[in-house]
Amino acid sequence: MFGEISALIVLLPVLAFVLTLFLGKKLPSGGAYLPIAAIAGSFIISLGTFLEIYPDGMVQQSWPWFAGMNIGILIDPLAVVMLMMVSFVSLLIHIYAVGYMAHDPAKPRYFAETSLFTAAMLSVVLSDNILQFFISWELVGLCSFLLIGFWYHKPSAAAAAKKAFLVTRVGDVLFLAGIVLLYVNISEIITTRAFSIEPGNFILQFSTMFEAAKLIDPTQLTLITLLFFGGAVGKSGQFPLHGWLPDAMEGPTTVSALIHAATMVTAGVYLVARTFPMFVATPDTISPGVPDALLIVAYVGGFTALFAATMGLVMNDIKRVLAYSTVSQLGYMMLALGTAGAVLGAKAVGISMFHLIAHAFFKALLFLCAGSVIHAVGTNDIREMGGLFGKMKITAITMLIAALALAGIGFPFAGLGMPIMNIGTAGFFSKDAIIEGALEYGEVKGDMIPYGMAILAALLTSIYIFRLWFMTFTGKPRSERHAHESPGVMTRPLMILAIFALLFGFSQLGFYGYVEKNFELMNVEIAVHEGEAFHPSPIIVMLPVIVGVLGILISYAIYNRRMLDMSKLVSSGNPIYKLLLNRYYEPKLGADIIGVKLTHGVVAQSGEFIDRKIIDGLVIDNIIGKTVFMLGEIVRKLQTGVVQNYASVTLLGLGLLIILLKIKFGGI
Amino acid sequence: MNYVLLAPEILLTVLALIVIFIGLLVSDRSKNMLGYISAAGLVASLVYVLGTKGEGSFFYNALVIDPLSQFFKLIFIVVSLLAVIASIKYFENNRNQDEYYALILLATVGMMVVASANDLVSLFVGFELASMSTYVLAGFEKKNPASLEAALKYFIIGSLSSALMLFGMSLVYGVTGSTNITAIIEFFKANPAVSGLDVIAMVFLVAGFGFKMALVPFHMWAPDTYEGSPSVVSALLAAGSKKMGFVAAFRVLVLALVALRADLWVTFGILAVITMTYGNIVAISQRSIKRMLAYSSIAQAGYIALAFVVTTQMSIAGGILLALGHALMKGGAFIAVAVVGYMVLSDNKNAKNIDDIENFAGLGKRAPITAFALFVFFLALAGIPPSAGFIGKFVLFYSITIEAVRQASTWFLIVVIIAILNSALSIYYYARVIRYMYVLPPAGEKIKEPAPYVIAIVLAVIGTIGIGLYPQPFIEMAMNAANVVLGV
Repeated sequence: MFGEISALIVLLPVLAFVLTLFLGKKLPSGGAYLPIAAIAGSFIISLGTFLEIYPDGMVQQSWPWFAGMNIGILIDPLAVVMLMMVSFVSLLIHIYAVGYMAHDPAKPRYFAETSLFTAAMLSVVLSDNILQFFISWELVGLCSFLLIGFWYHKPSAAAAAKKAFLVTRVGDVLFLAGIVLLYVNISEIITTRAFSIEPGNFILQFSTMFEAAKLIDPTQLTLITLLFFGGAVGKSGQFPLHGWLPDAMEGPTTVSALIHAATMVTAGVYLVARTFPMFVATPDTISPGVPDALLIVAYVGGFTALFAATMGLVMNDIKRVLAYSTVSQLGYMMLALGTAGAVLGAKAVGISMFHLIAHAFFKALLFLCAGSVIHAVGTNDIREMGGLFGKMKITAITMLIAALALAGIGFPFAGLGMPIMNIGTAGFFSKDAIIEGALEYGEVKGDMIPYGMAILAALLTSIYIFRLWFMTFTGKPRSERHAHESPGVMTRPLMILAIFALLFGFSQLGFYGYVEKNFELMNVEIAVHEGEAFHPSPIIVMLPVIVGVLGILISYAIYNRRMLDMSKLVSSGNPIYKLLLNRYYEPKLGADIIGVKLTHGVVAQSGEFIDRKIIDGLVIDNIIGKTVFMLGEIVRKLQTGVVQNYASVTLLGLGLLIILLKIKFGGI
Repeated sequence: MNYVLLAPEILLTVLALIVIFIGLLVSDRSKNMLGYISAAGLVASLVYVLGTKGEGSFFYNALVIDPLSQFFKLIFIVVSLLAVIASIKYFENNRNQDEYYALILLATVGMMVVASANDLVSLFVGFELASMSTYVLAGFEKKNPASLEAALKYFIIGSLSSALMLFGMSLVYGVTGSTNITAIIEFFKANPAVSGLDVIAMVFLVAGFGFKMALVPFHMWAPDTYEGSPSVVSALLAAGSKKMGFVAAFRVLVLALVALRADLWVTFGILAVITMTYGNIVAISQRSIKRMLAYSSIAQAGYIALAFVVTTQMSIAGGILLALGHALMKGGAFIAVAVVGYMVLSDNKNAKNIDDIENFAGLGKRAPITAFALFVFFLALAGIPPSAGFIGKFVLFYSITIEAVRQASTWFLIVVIIAILNSALSIYYYARVIRYMYVLPPAGEKIKEPAPYVIAIVLAVIGTIGIGLYPQPFIEMAMNAANVVLGV
């Protein structure tokens, strides 16, 4: 029953978007309740669909669109867990926003845009073909642009929106190029009759793509998957296209939570997971036994995880710390797909998706807590906070839970062979599995670099998040502000999310089992490495937790106990600190050198020169422009308004035609 | 013979007579209902056209019902319907409404007869029925000199073109000994050698049809007429009756040319390229929006005429699709201009130049629905997706590019490039109006947009975007119609 109406999952928020946009001003709370009701509807249908198709069903609907393309819905395990997560997190954030945005005059626009965003994101998730996926993906990007620049009167917000739009566009162009290349390749193998599309299937459907992937030229396939990954790098803020994500924090905090933590940025990971069979099918030219595409995914992900974590250490803007943390965690998800994908096959999708969803819960929670703090103290700078624990207990405790989850705190009883299950936060379960996957990859393939990056990043993660927490909530207040706990409409979503951040991890085994079956259901075989059971030593099993706790202790020592005088370390004389604080000079490199000097200076200036001097000046003004307008004037004069002239022109034209044809055919 | 297939024509003819008859009986005020009756009749015949499947021929093969005729009937009825709905407001309380609606209905019947005509005589009769009715409609605002001038010019040039067309037809009859198109084609197939007389006959036909299509150099009447006529009639002329020329050309010229194996693509290529370039260039310097739309309409005719250049199934389907899209976009745009006219006149009863671009300043604030609809129509006319205009142009340009590659013809490629450059050029003058509507400050208060206008333009917007979003059924219909054109 729910499966049949699953199109409503997308259509309800679309409807809410239209209604809120046009009628929002006349409704209470700027029309906030329409999107809330609609997204609640989407969530209920997603949940109902899940219950219906669990454990091994799917929803497939498809309508022909044009020229062999289709519009369709594919709800398989992978999609359904994403659908539930997106609609649920979005629902909570919408409720929270009723309080957070209460004083903003542009509420109808806000709620309309977030509603459209949710619809687009849900449409990304349940697309059954790559074209629809791409269109929704672009719509997601557009909504993100609109929402980052929501306070468009702020120059920094407008600049951030522009940056996000342009940087992700780089990825999108690559993604589109990948789709075109894929289309060309599939058409090619269809014309050579090596492959045919069964009736009822369409050319860019995922199932067709996976079938065709086996027959496409391997080099081309690597290129296609890497182009897809290029899109994912842009959307998920992976190195080197990560720069837009921290800047995107210029939007309202709810937007940061919704888009730049929980949902949109995961679209890139979802894309790789969705097209995972194609990544697995790429040849192994670089490292034997590891598909090229996966190797690159693993290294880009691992490097991003570490690289972003280092910058998270020194940021002073509470939201920027979280932004770098998001970039870093997305790196983990990519790392999981790459490393575990190479050794464990389809299980990697489960591991990555599990972290994705766990992360959505605790990162949304972190952002909403940050929002609550900002709401209370009116600044983003953690140097001006401190001592808020007593004043905002709910926020402080829920944020502590989220920080523990991010640091991956827990105890691996089962991992050490004890007869009780592992106990820990959601992040513990999900991140441990990733690190373990990286370790197994290292053992099997003899390449420990990804594992090293993952472990080091885990240590840094724990340090920066507890630095944030200690500086915000403990110690003495460092500025005169009358902080107060946020209203119930804001704290209740915090508590709900905290429960998920605590308990979601226990669904680990069931989750893996369910999502792993995804590609089996689609009849796609993924080669799985069958090695001997993997038993690392206890110290290795404990290592992620140990570095997590170590990180907390380091933070505690420095930022709470003040055992180390930070002022010496953070003085502007320290080159490492300067490098990190300036974000590896990436904004400078990106904005000033590439953006201003290169793009503006060379490309834009010469473009402008060509445009103004040559095209406009010479061509438009003097040649084309003058000619066009002169022609316009001449023909306007031809249009005398005297009907005799009209008749003459008609007859003249007739005569000319006859002469033309006489020249061509002769002998009249 | 299954006369059910002709039910739409019969229905509309009877309705036209009933409308006139009611007009005799009722008071002037009650005549406002005639618009609703006409609209209902058009909806009913639209349902007939869409609902009846099957093909047939009638009256000794003088009329045929096939996918081509049905597709163009769809266009004609939709345009008339839009015009009639908008006229409910435009001619509200006019005491000559009965004649007005009867003429619109008869003009529609004329166009539908042209769409179905399989005989030069029935073709001519359909042409004349539609032309005579629209001559009067163009001059329907008796007290407005511009309207009268428009009608008179239209009438004179129209008569000239009819004469040329009739002469062409008589030459065809002289050569082939028949007026039936099927028989003519058979004759040409049997005697494929091109004689001088064949070609002259074709040229006269091109001139006659070209007048309706407003191809350069047979276009001179169009800007004056579209500008001077009541906006709703301009919608009918630009969006509807213009397509008569295309369906006639598809049915007679393409089939005859294919049968004759006469390679006329140079002729049509030159006509198409000149027409689109001319239309776009002159449109740039216009201040009157109706005149700008007239020139843009000429340019669009140039694009559609590209279908004759390669005469493949896909190119003809593209031309037909663009004809459908153009009907919706241009019809809707003229009706939107009518709303602006209504707005300006309600500001100032004696306003002159009511469609001047200055009057569009701040339209986004004054009449948001109209402004948004115009925005959509302009983007669609410029060929931006997702819109009917994009689909038509895409299929058309794509078909020519394919031919260019297949035949390794640089000329085809040049034609496509010119067409694409033209599309880019056209964005300039559309964007100018969009700037006026959304950037410049409004000159007056927000107005209440009258419901009939809103219904008409919203229907056109839905059609324009709907075809852009879900083109498959229309592409299929157009492909079927193209098969008829090619005699497959």
